[in-house]
Amino acid sequence: MTAMKFIQTHHDRWHTVEGDDGPMVTITPASHQLLTWLQWHSVRHHWPAGMPVGVIVDNTQDTRELEADLPRLGLVVLQFPKWVDGRAYSQAHLLRSRYRFAGEIRATGQVLVDMLPLLQRTGFDAVVLRADQSREAAERALNFFPGHYQGDVREHRPIFARPADELASQEFINAGASI
Amino acid sequence: MYTYTDFDKHFVRQRAAQYRDQLDRHLAGHLPDDEFRALRLQNGWYIQRHAPMLRVAVPYGELNSAQLRALAGIARDFDRGYAHFTTRQNLQYNWIPLDQSAEVMDRLAAVHMHGIQTSGNCIRNITSDCFAGIAPDELVDPRPYAEIMRQWSTLHPEFAFLPRKFKIAVTGAGEDRAAIGWHDIGLHLLKNDAGEVGFKVLVGGGMGRTPVIGTVAREFLPWQQILVFIEAVVRVYNRYGRRDNIYKARIKILVKAEGQRFFDDVEAEFREILERDVDGSAHLIPQSELDRVTANFVIPAGVAARASSGMPRPADAPAGYGRWLERNVHAHRLSGYRAVTLSLKRTGQAPGDITDEQMERAAELSDRYSHGELRVSHDQNLVLPWVLESDLPALWEAARSASFATPNIGLLTDMIACPGGDFCALANARSIPLAAEITERYQDLDELWDIGDIDLHISGCINSCGHHHSGHIGILGVDKDGAEWYQITLGGSDGSTLSGGPVTGKVVGPSFAADEAADAVEAVIDTYQAQRQGGERFIDTIKRIGLEPFKASTNAVRRTTARHAASDAATAE
Repeated sequence: MTAMKFIQTHHDRWHTVEGDDGPMVTITPASHQLLTWLQWHSVRHHWPAGMPVGVIVDNTQDTRELEADLPRLGLVVLQFPKWVDGRAYSQAHLLRSRYRFAGEIRATGQVLVDMLPLLQRTGFDAVVLRADQSREAAERALNFFPGHYQGDVREHRPIFARPADELASQEFINAGASI
Repeated sequence: MYTYTDFDKHFVRQRAAQYRDQLDRHLAGHLPDDEFRALRLQNGWYIQRHAPMLRVAVPYGELNSAQLRALAGIARDFDRGYAHFTTRQNLQYNWIPLDQSAEVMDRLAAVHMHGIQTSGNCIRNITSDCFAGIAPDELVDPRPYAEIMRQWSTLHPEFAFLPRKFKIAVTGAGEDRAAIGWHDIGLHLLKNDAGEVGFKVLVGGGMGRTPVIGTVAREFLPWQQILVFIEAVVRVYNRYGRRDNIYKARIKILVKAEGQRFFDDVEAEFREILERDVDGSAHLIPQSELDRVTANFVIPAGVAARASSGMPRPADAPAGYGRWLERNVHAHRLSGYRAVTLSLKRTGQAPGDITDEQMERAAELSDRYSHGELRVSHDQNLVLPWVLESDLPALWEAARSASFATPNIGLLTDMIACPGGDFCALANARSIPLAAEITERYQDLDELWDIGDIDLHISGCINSCGHHHSGHIGILGVDKDGAEWYQITLGGSDGSTLSGGPVTGKVVGPSFAADEAADAVEAVIDTYQAQRQGGERFIDTIKRIGLEPFKASTNAVRRTTARHAASDAATAE
């Protein structure tokens, strides 16, 4: 699993498509468009094969509805309208663990430094930090724990299914180095 | 009891380091109050009326003497020399300044303790039977399973920000001493006809504004599958639980609203995890892991069943000793041994409160008489689990001199009470003065004994930390026009054999004014004593005669509220 990507929106190759009155416009497919789920539904039947496309999904959406389209998607953007609303963690977990989504999963909205360990462990590999957040503190937040008890999308095995020597050597040494 | 591995030790130290980083950012002005709040809560730090409150986790209520001494040291060095045991087997401090909080977390980590998930909208500390592993009526020792679930739930990345808090209780005994029906998930370990161990799983119990008893989700879930089943329950809750109204956010509301559909969703999710997820069966618990954890919960060295000549009753022993044997000393699965409750219910101290000096004394008693092991009970007392019968007279003397020997376990003055409005910022009314008033009125042991088994539960607000819904007598503090009022309920039950299946108490008339509440309780007791037949217990009398006689007698003590009622009537005319 790759390291967490910190997205600077002005350097982002993905672009949303918005009209004068919000996101409902006629879409002309173009590479790296980032569409709302509704927009995507209006174009999915004629979206050119192989053209990169991403979708923005509400945190109330059932991830089952995405399953059939996942092979065509390069990016799924999940949302934290409030940072203490944890629904998107379950969405990300399901996209990775159950539906084997291999593209990027990005967190947007109220994305705070201290969410980073949870985001990483539930399958997010990119974040748009809220503007006032410190990237340095976010990177530090990713390194406190050398390992965890329960499995997650990066390490599927809970601690009891991992060999003892794995825990002893590698994880503790890494932890010592990072703190 | 469970011994920390290197991994466990490192983990709590890193949790303390992570908290220190968060606190530093907060104190430097980079992490505003509102955002720091959810983080500190998940480490047990509340902001209360006077200062932050720290809730320390005591997993399934097990403590050793070294930990208790460390807790005493924290009370002495950082607090005002005391702390409070809660109904969820945790310990709370009330006066620790926030800027010293990281230091306290380090001190806790040094004795393998922490405040992880003792608050916040996450999976909380898992509670259990305080007699786990020693009760004669136990079928399966719940502690290894509780420890495995504790580990699984600790910093679970997907379930740290649920709609609301999530509480799990587990028991493995015939008698439910963990009130499992009142929990978000209640687990009852049992054996099937083939002798295999599994869980009866209840989901959706809870107190608060809407008291609900949990619904059976599975009659028998093989123990290996418990983590997967809990994952399925909590995931369904995380996705569909209400987040628009804090009072409707607990899983009980979702279970009630969805009914069978909720359980169908859980079962579908459970199957999907096992059949579809990457390594979906990775969280099935292997026998080797159960064996590894179970090996921590062995009988202490030197303890073995022995021939019993019964509890010693020296001819010259005072009457108090006999009473203590009857109320505070409990049966044990090992012949020759007893469990002993150190009562934290006595005049001059709030229920569950303990000073640093008393903690030191309790630690001493546990070293001398119980192999350094203690338990915290759901009823806010301490228990010594490994006491030799022959040590009982000496232990009684020692416990008495440390004010732990009030022979009142299970009686009226062994009441459950939350800290209430004296400390808690949520409370509508104070619990402690009312508890104190009732305790003072029932100092006569003969009278207390004559009244017999009774559960009095006092909550300072509808959050129900004092479990008023499940009390035979429940008292709920309410706020009306800025004044403290008390609503009294009767006939509630925690689910123990004595009380019958778990049930919510029924309200007896309008709320009582603060100066009437203790009188009303006394009127309830008087009515019971007048109405009972033979040795009938309080709860049975209530079941037999209903609420009316109690309504009449409690109405008779109204003064303030009687005037209010009269003036209301006059206005109406």
